[in-house]
Amino acid sequence: MKRNLSIILISAVLVVIFALLLFVFQVRQSEVVILTTFEKPTAQPYDRPGAYFKWPWPIQKVHKFDQRIQNFEDRFTQTLTADNNNLIVTIYTGWKISDAKSFYPKFQSSVPAAQRILEGMLRSAQNAVIGKHNLSDFVNADPKELKFDAIEDEIKQIVQSELSTNDYGIRLEFLGFKRIELPENVTQTVFDRMKNERQKLISKTENEGKAEAQKIASAADRQAAETIANADAAATRIRGEGEAAAAKFLPVFQQNPALANYLLRIDALKQSLNQRATLIFDERTPPFDLFLNFPTNTSSR
Amino acid sequence: MSHEHEHQHEPPPAAAPVMPDDTGSQALAEALRSSFTIVKIAMVLMVLAFFGSGFFTVGPSEKAIILRFGKPVGEGQKALLSSGRLYWSYPYPIDQVVKIPIAEIQSVDSTMGWYFMTREQEIAYKTTGVEPTPGPSLNPAVDGYAITADRNIIHTRATLNYHIADPIQAVFGFSADTNFTYSLAGVSNAAQNVLNNALLYTAARFNVDDILTRNVAGFQDAVLRRVSDLIEQEQLGIVVDNCAVRSAAPRQLRDVFTQVTTARENRNKLLNDAHSYESEVMIQSGAQATSITNAAAANRARYVESITAEAKRFNDLLPKYESNPNLFAQQTFLQAVGPALTNAEKWIQPITENGKKREVRLMLNREPPQSKPAPAGP
Repeated sequence: MKRNLSIILISAVLVVIFALLLFVFQVRQSEVVILTTFEKPTAQPYDRPGAYFKWPWPIQKVHKFDQRIQNFEDRFTQTLTADNNNLIVTIYTGWKISDAKSFYPKFQSSVPAAQRILEGMLRSAQNAVIGKHNLSDFVNADPKELKFDAIEDEIKQIVQSELSTNDYGIRLEFLGFKRIELPENVTQTVFDRMKNERQKLISKTENEGKAEAQKIASAADRQAAETIANADAAATRIRGEGEAAAAKFLPVFQQNPALANYLLRIDALKQSLNQRATLIFDERTPPFDLFLNFPTNTSSR
Repeated sequence: MSHEHEHQHEPPPAAAPVMPDDTGSQALAEALRSSFTIVKIAMVLMVLAFFGSGFFTVGPSEKAIILRFGKPVGEGQKALLSSGRLYWSYPYPIDQVVKIPIAEIQSVDSTMGWYFMTREQEIAYKTTGVEPTPGPSLNPAVDGYAITADRNIIHTRATLNYHIADPIQAVFGFSADTNFTYSLAGVSNAAQNVLNNALLYTAARFNVDDILTRNVAGFQDAVLRRVSDLIEQEQLGIVVDNCAVRSAAPRQLRDVFTQVTTARENRNKLLNDAHSYESEVMIQSGAQATSITNAAAANRARYVESITAEAKRFNDLLPKYESNPNLFAQQTFLQAVGPALTNAEKWIQPITENGKKREVRLMLNREPPQSKPAPAGP
């Protein structure tokens, strides 16, 4: 009896396993599934992860679609801007299947087929949008003038609205420029211009340097002269203060100007005799006047 | 009768030899039994295999995510199973194990902004620094570059290092191919496009000199900001660790760009020289000014002191003078002149008898002779 029970149990497990394999299908996180009954799609796609019931093949068939974002970039395209600049542009996009029910009849589950359609739309949208903008909208140091993001958005919106109009079941998640370049012959012209600008910059830099250095040096000289002049003025003022202080003594000397005068002359005389000097006197000059009354026989001479 | 009696008294026969003539069916039963055993074993094995298939391990450079009925078990980093132990999950169709190659740090290089080099040329450039001679122009099919805000051409490239912050989004959000396989190639591709776009966009906002010399760090920061913004907008589920940007002038113009750098260096040298001259002159003039004012102050002090001393002397001498001016004059004169006469050359000219003036001729040297007195005329 016990043996029979275990056999029954094992059989039941196996039956459950086979039933699961036959009647259940799984939708993974990244997938969306269309179930067809005799090749006709059932009402709603299964876009949430989980296990779902189905009748075994050939009654019902499971069609899986990748719901993840597909990276896609177009080949580079030459486009004219509004101000007649030729730009070679490459755009990258991220798109995903947003409605598998619409996607399935048009592309089955072929991602490349969908991308071929997308590429055509990208090309015409980018031609239309870039043609409306000047080159200064693409490259500009002024953030207010730069319309890089706006141009990307415009292209994205045109492609998205076309995708919706045609009911392709595709949604653009993001779109951006990957490359913006110039035609080969234009690069050479740009190089020539750049070279020219560089040379101007070189001479400007050199001249500016010289002028600036000269300015600094002359300003320094001027300031130095000013400092010295100020010092001279201060010195004069200081000396003046000294003279003012000296003037206070004037009444002292005025008591006897003759003596004051005499003392000054005596001092001046002392000063002058400090140096090596040659003096010529006659006998009347003291102290040589002593010679005059000296008892000599000057008369015999 | 006897036969019946005999029959009645016989002991009941054993089970096996009941139908000694039915060996065929006996063999069949035997075979059935044994094959039924085999079937049972097979069933047990199948059940075991079914549940045993749930064991799995994770390789050292990969992570695993269990999908239960298609949905990841766990959230964020917790959903990732690492190597180092044995895991078990319910077998398909309940669970499914997805293995993804994940390195600790992910890295992508930009592809939009550098000139074309073959692999050999790149190796030669990295080892010897020798670059292939450039043509006169850039071919958009192979050479990459960016256009700057001042419409110049520059080369720029970047390496983005990042880590996966939201593995569920990174793995299940981006497709790498059309085979429903799971890897990080999809998100890596998206990150690369983000990096390309960031370089292109940022170069379009900066002038060439800012990118190359004046504001290299600012350019790099702006690239990083754009990358982070786009990562958030496009919900890549990654976080940037760092982003290293390198930019260069076109090879065709490298000489002239070097000359600009040299000119800038020369200008800076000139300015530095001027500034050092400036400080030297300032220091010198400052010192000179101080010495001028100091000298004046010293003069003032000396003058005032001497006047003070003079006044005192005057006051001291005044009474003596007033008592006998002549005597005073003679005394002071001789006191003053006497010591001076010891050093001076003296020439005493006697008075002529007739009172006539005598003519004296002196030979004057700029430097008076040391030893001899100046010769005098007759």
